[in-house]
Amino acid sequence: MMNPEFRRNLWLSFSTHRLIAMPALLALIFLTAAITAVNVPLILYNTASILFILIAWGWGALNAGASIVDEFREKTWDQQRMSALGSWTMTWGKLFGATAFNWYGGAICLLVMVVCGTLSNRPNWVLEIPTLIAASILTHAMMIASNLYAGRFDSNFFRRGGAALIVLLFVVVGIGLQATAMRISNPEPGSTVVWWGMVVGDENIFLLESALLFMVCATIAAWRLMSNALQIRTLPWALPLFVLILAVYCGGFAEKKWFSLIGFAIAAGFSYIMLLTEPNTLLLWNKLRLRLQTGDWRSLLAELPLWTVTFLLTLVFALAVMLTWPFAAPDTRAIGALIPLVATVLLLRDVCIVLFFSFAPNARRPIAVAVLYIIVLNFLLPYFFEKLGLRAAAYFCDPVSDLFDTEPYGTVTLSLLIASIHAAFMLGIVIWRFNKIRRQTG
Amino acid sequence: MIKISRLIFDYPGRRALDDVSLEVQAGSVTALVGPNGAGKTTLMRCIAGLETPLSGSIEVAGMDVIEEPRAVHRSMGYLSDFFGLYQELTVARCLEYAAASQGLSAAAIPQAIRDTARRLQLTDRLQQLSGSLSRGLRQRVAVGQAIIHQPKVLLLDEPASGLDPEARSELAALFRQLQADGMTLLVSSHILAELDEYSTHLLVLRDGRVLENRALSVPAHADEVRILALQLAAPDARLAGWLKAQPGLVCEDVEHDRAEIHFRGDATAQAGLLVALVQAGFAVSSFAEHKESLQQSYLRSVAAHLEKTS
Repeated sequence: MMNPEFRRNLWLSFSTHRLIAMPALLALIFLTAAITAVNVPLILYNTASILFILIAWGWGALNAGASIVDEFREKTWDQQRMSALGSWTMTWGKLFGATAFNWYGGAICLLVMVVCGTLSNRPNWVLEIPTLIAASILTHAMMIASNLYAGRFDSNFFRRGGAALIVLLFVVVGIGLQATAMRISNPEPGSTVVWWGMVVGDENIFLLESALLFMVCATIAAWRLMSNALQIRTLPWALPLFVLILAVYCGGFAEKKWFSLIGFAIAAGFSYIMLLTEPNTLLLWNKLRLRLQTGDWRSLLAELPLWTVTFLLTLVFALAVMLTWPFAAPDTRAIGALIPLVATVLLLRDVCIVLFFSFAPNARRPIAVAVLYIIVLNFLLPYFFEKLGLRAAAYFCDPVSDLFDTEPYGTVTLSLLIASIHAAFMLGIVIWRFNKIRRQTG
Repeated sequence: MIKISRLIFDYPGRRALDDVSLEVQAGSVTALVGPNGAGKTTLMRCIAGLETPLSGSIEVAGMDVIEEPRAVHRSMGYLSDFFGLYQELTVARCLEYAAASQGLSAAAIPQAIRDTARRLQLTDRLQQLSGSLSRGLRQRVAVGQAIIHQPKVLLLDEPASGLDPEARSELAALFRQLQADGMTLLVSSHILAELDEYSTHLLVLRDGRVLENRALSVPAHADEVRILALQLAAPDARLAGWLKAQPGLVCEDVEHDRAEIHFRGDATAQAGLLVALVQAGFAVSSFAEHKESLQQSYLRSVAAHLEKTS
């Protein structure tokens, strides 16, 4: 039997009018483009690719996002959650069902691209078509994943699909960064891509391979988040695995010796993203405490905030940097090798700042307040003290930036000590607040 | 059919369910009552597997809801207080989607749609868009979606809110019919008179705790006082004095032609009192137990709780 979710989306997406209107409209556009063109196949190929990007990629992304947001808005989400459909069935039903009409239009564009690509002898059209398809599915899956993730929050902005804007931004930035990375490692356009020292084909092939890789990652993310939404308990392996994949992927563009540092930066970045977007309420931590007390490890791991896992990964990468720092010179070695460790300790301090405000009774916008304090502590205060000529105070507030100075005020060991004092102090007051409120509320 | 053990559920700054343990018998219709904020909706959502409690366990039809929520959903229907319908789908397609998503085979779905539509008097509305239906009809479609897969357990959160008296009466008839078919129903509502029509059990929740969970057809306690209403065919001035002289009887609202008797005893003792009344020459026209309404049961339960806590 056909996937019920996929079929429901087909019912909603297709009507006789729409079935006729889409090809008629596309035919009219192609005809108009062909009339004015000198090189007809080339113009039609370009027109079809632009239309594919607009219809299948862009409009499809909006529809994929709406497949979740509309359920919230129409109050049908509980019915879906109460169904017996598995998370994978629900995921692909939405991924391809909500975008079915876009794929219908997109398929016509692809047909034109295949015919005109062949006639115009355009190089690489065989690679461009699957790349466009993979990039579209990647974006659609990310839209579903982001709206499922945002569905955990009470925020109207997120529940109305605001996360979609953020995801689109991520996709655009991601594509830009990837293009830049490829251009840096391979300055000649059309040249072969060297990745981890291996020739992996020309840049078009690599682009296709990258799109396929991240398409699979995004689909897995959507499936995992759908599982959580359907109350299916999952263990936290997917995000750390993705961080590792991303580290290996990005690390391939640089020299091998930088791998640990790149991994550290990615893991730390994800730790901050998850820390600032996941709920960290007292309720959750009380629940985790109970799971720990009763030895219910499966529930503990299933309910653990994901930043805890990426934080551990950050620490592992920081230690790896310490052991594999590429520069042999004794003076720079000690500093460079330990900076990620100092930063990791400061990350722990920032974690505690977020938890401290999240645990506050009647906390209003705890993340915004925590971010404000993190900015003040990391940037405003050091700058203020620096301008007053109080370098020791500035160094105490920000023990990392100073190490990059040509004449640092402190040493890396002292920086590590100061960062540890920051983290220990914040950890102490977080534990104090947690216990105090828990005692008050019984 | 439903077994809940030591269930605790917290909201920020508030415990919504506090150590709730209860059982719901198979084939019963349990009225879940309590004031606003008592935890009724939270309890239903936990049973439905839509919320994860802090601790405790929930079993439905022998399955652990927390461990296997998707499997439990095949045996369960749930109508939320704030339900939605796919406005752009016809009633038939809404029902078809519900049936398919609950795992009914393709061959069984057409018959399931026909049966559900007939049961809910929706047969002539099947081709109508659900978005064009009235509130009452939308409610019926939503109930249809919840029962189309013939679940063992049906959870209904305020199913009659916004319905006119006629639609409420039809809904009550439907619930009685579902119970007769062997379904177990847990119904939450503020309108106790409506629950009175079809409930077999009462579950009172207050401040996240269970105050009372009992069958409505038997007294809460074996030695509970029952109220007997006596009516004479003609006024008799001796009535008050005669009743006062009977040991163990407490009478209220005694007139020459009627009395309300607070009676402690079984059916045989009640028959004995009737014989004594007739033998004493009273022209008894009516002598029957005055059944306590759900409203009275609920208020008595709350009063007893308040007395205990004070």
